[in-house]
Amino acid sequence: MTLTKKLIALLALLPGFVFANEAGFPLDRAPERSDIASLQNGAKLFVNYCLNCHSASSMRYNRLRDLGLNEDQIKNNLLFSGEKVGDMMKIAMRPDDAKAWFGAVPPDLSVIARAKAGTGGTGADYLYTYLRTFYKDDTRPTGWNNMVVPNVAMPHVLWQLQGIRTAKMVKEADPHEHGKTVERFAGFEQVSPGSMSQPEFDTQVADLVAYMEWMAEPTRDLRKRLGAIVVLFLSLFAFLAWRLNASYWKDVK
Amino acid sequence: MGAAFKETKLPADAPKSRKALAWVDDRFPLSKLWQEQWGRYYAPKNFNVWYIFGSLAMLVLVIQIVTGIFLTMHYKPDSNLAFGSVEYIMKEVPWGWLVRYMHSTGASAFFIVVYLHMTRGLLYGSYRKPRELIWLFGFAIFLCLMAEAFFGYLLPWGQMSYWGAQVIVNLFGAIPFIGNDLSLWIRGDYVVSDATLNRFFAFHVIAIPLVLLGLVAAHLIALHEVGSNNPDGIEVKDNLGPDGHGVDTIPSHPYYTTKDFFGVSVFLLIYSSVVFFAPEMGGYFLEYNNFLPADSLKTPPHIAPTWYFTPFYSVLRATTSDFMWVVMAGLAAYVVFIWLRSRLSYTTKIAVTVLAVVLEIGMLPQVLDAKFWGVVLFGSAVIILSLLPWLDHSPVRSIRYRPGWHKTVYGVFFVAFLVLGYLGTQLPTPAYTLIAQLATLLYFSFFLLMPWWSTMGRFKPLPKRVTWTAH
Amino acid sequence: MSNEKQVDSGRRGLLVATCAAGGVVGVSTAGVLVSTLQPSERAKAAGAPVEVDISDVKPGELKVAEWRGKPVWILRRTPEMLASLKQNDALVADPDSDKSFQLDVPKYAKNEFRAYDKHKEVLVVVGICSHLGCSPSSRFQQGPQPNLPDDWHGGFLCPCHGSTFDLSGRVFKNKPAPVNLDVPPYMYLSDNKILIGKDEEKGEA
Repeated sequence: MTLTKKLIALLALLPGFVFANEAGFPLDRAPERSDIASLQNGAKLFVNYCLNCHSASSMRYNRLRDLGLNEDQIKNNLLFSGEKVGDMMKIAMRPDDAKAWFGAVPPDLSVIARAKAGTGGTGADYLYTYLRTFYKDDTRPTGWNNMVVPNVAMPHVLWQLQGIRTAKMVKEADPHEHGKTVERFAGFEQVSPGSMSQPEFDTQVADLVAYMEWMAEPTRDLRKRLGAIVVLFLSLFAFLAWRLNASYWKDVK
Repeated sequence: MGAAFKETKLPADAPKSRKALAWVDDRFPLSKLWQEQWGRYYAPKNFNVWYIFGSLAMLVLVIQIVTGIFLTMHYKPDSNLAFGSVEYIMKEVPWGWLVRYMHSTGASAFFIVVYLHMTRGLLYGSYRKPRELIWLFGFAIFLCLMAEAFFGYLLPWGQMSYWGAQVIVNLFGAIPFIGNDLSLWIRGDYVVSDATLNRFFAFHVIAIPLVLLGLVAAHLIALHEVGSNNPDGIEVKDNLGPDGHGVDTIPSHPYYTTKDFFGVSVFLLIYSSVVFFAPEMGGYFLEYNNFLPADSLKTPPHIAPTWYFTPFYSVLRATTSDFMWVVMAGLAAYVVFIWLRSRLSYTTKIAVTVLAVVLEIGMLPQVLDAKFWGVVLFGSAVIILSLLPWLDHSPVRSIRYRPGWHKTVYGVFFVAFLVLGYLGTQLPTPAYTLIAQLATLLYFSFFLLMPWWSTMGRFKPLPKRVTWTAH
Repeated sequence: MSNEKQVDSGRRGLLVATCAAGGVVGVSTAGVLVSTLQPSERAKAAGAPVEVDISDVKPGELKVAEWRGKPVWILRRTPEMLASLKQNDALVADPDSDKSFQLDVPKYAKNEFRAYDKHKEVLVVVGICSHLGCSPSSRFQQGPQPNLPDDWHGGFLCPCHGSTFDLSGRVFKNKPAPVNLDVPPYMYLSDNKILIGKDEEKGEA
């Protein structure tokens, strides 16, 4: 093999940039949800549950037209405290107040799905797992804790849908240090039911997370469609350039 | 004062375009420049795929400048507005998302192309006499490119932008005595802040691009002055034909126009595939953490520099206080080697020894700490590239005519460089640090021992004509 | 020899095809870049139609709203003001609003009241002089005044270069301003609410 080919082969060994999330908690796969109905449902959930504390300040309400909603539908169902359809998804709460009330400023969610990628799955996987692994913890100020973000400042906003669960922890011998014990997570226990069954709840969260992925990059589908055309055209261009070059170089002795 | 003005007279029925060109040529060396720089610039006919990367580098420079101009129309260099303005470009400016992806992909593409371009130089001895100055201009371009990328990366004002800049500026803080004041001056503030962002914006948008354009011009002028090297490393001008040009040369136009056109089309295919289908490239081209706005109070759990800096970053991280003993031993051994085996003059050997003694004292943990020497090694790992023309004493230029085992030496060097690069993206573990230290030793040995190993072994006889088959 | 001719035509064909393909690449790239200069979503949202409540505009009063960064005057004319308009027909340069300034003249503006038939007393015009863009001041008092003719029936005077407009925003003859004030597209959402920037005929401006 020539030196050139050997060097190219080496590159195939480079893995992608993947790290576990901070807690090292294995992430569930967010179900595929690319249909318009799911995204619209996700938008509804987002506006109703998330926009009270979190802003999405680079998302304009009228961009929801890309999800098949017209301005009247947006105005009647998704606009609340006096916003106009051309406004950005901002919130009234001031960061200083948020810090005082919650201990941390709820981050802006415009591109959170892109920020949380590479943490053991896609950004959607992270958010999907995060929103479904809250559990009751009376030692926390909010009364809630989370498996993906331990000691998170956010309460379980969706608790009425999922119901209240506790985390079962079992004591085990520490595999690394002899004589010590560690606690291992052994599943959740439903303490009181929510308005939805677990599968129903999972579906709703899947829609919400799919919407957040869409919101982080609304042009993703257009990008891929355009890409197919561009790559096809450039292949043709490369072919022509190749033959043109050959037609000149045949004269070189 | 040159010669008197001589007007070109064309017959009355000559086409208007030819008359217009003659008018310009009488007043400005347009056709002359075209012919000398490209049209009638005779280049070796045996250029292979390694020779496309120079033209590609120019193309990527143009792509970056043009996309950069259009991004600057919407970007706001203010710490409160910067992050939002990038999202504005992505979501609200018509086609803004595409221009942004072209620019971010172009930045990584620039480094891939430039690293491959430098590899060609290494393989074929393109930096050897009389082409040392081309190599030095190229080295300066490489430094400017790294600076340009570093300044540009702060602009999105994400978490990686902020903390990457904070870390690198603090590197300057490692310089004894002046370090802290220097860092303060560079930042314009106690931490990376709005002041830093604005000046980095100025550097990235106009200062360095102007310098880059000047250096690229110098790089090409120097090249055209002595003529191009080729994969066989022989001097094509030593064998002239009846027309005064090398028998193994061809005019760049049309042959390299069409060949470069083809090369460009393949590049655009790959580049577009990335832009449209994988602009993040698994977090290497657009880092995930940079989608979080900069937070001066919270460092992300894992900071790594962008991929193109990781090899040199690895060298920095490998320089632990333990490793300093290895460096000291290595330096001492090197000086001994110079005394026993080099042909340098007695005065030079004395000077080298004195310098080495000063360095050895400086390397003692009580004098200057490993943090400082890490920065020194980091810088040296880059600067040593510029010394290649004077380190390589091989009787032949090209790897093709060197002893076979030289290929292994080059292979080890390239692998060490890639290993350093990969390790730079990972969290440091004791095992990784050890490997990085080994790779660092291999990297520096490649250069520092080159005056000796490059002369060893049985070299193959150079051909009189270039190796080439018609196609 | 014939081989050469074949090579030449083959080569020329490839040259044309490659240049054409290259041209497509170049033109599309240029098109994308140039499009980035078009108004962004933010600019379009800021330029969206504006709702104005006109219930608080008493007869003879002027209210100023803002649309696309420009002042829009809402003047509820008194019956006397409306009656005086006919007397200006001979004195104004374009009594029937045939010519337009920056916006096309909507159908409902092509009369001496330059207003909707159902609400002919309400004048809605963009308060920007058609000369060089200053905003004229109100001069509703009738009779002789400095810088105004003796038979002044009320209207607007532009302070920059002296152009005058009547109570329908029509420019008087022999003034620096060439055409009447713009009537923006607007519509009545109810008797007391107008939407400036959109009308039923052409939709959003």
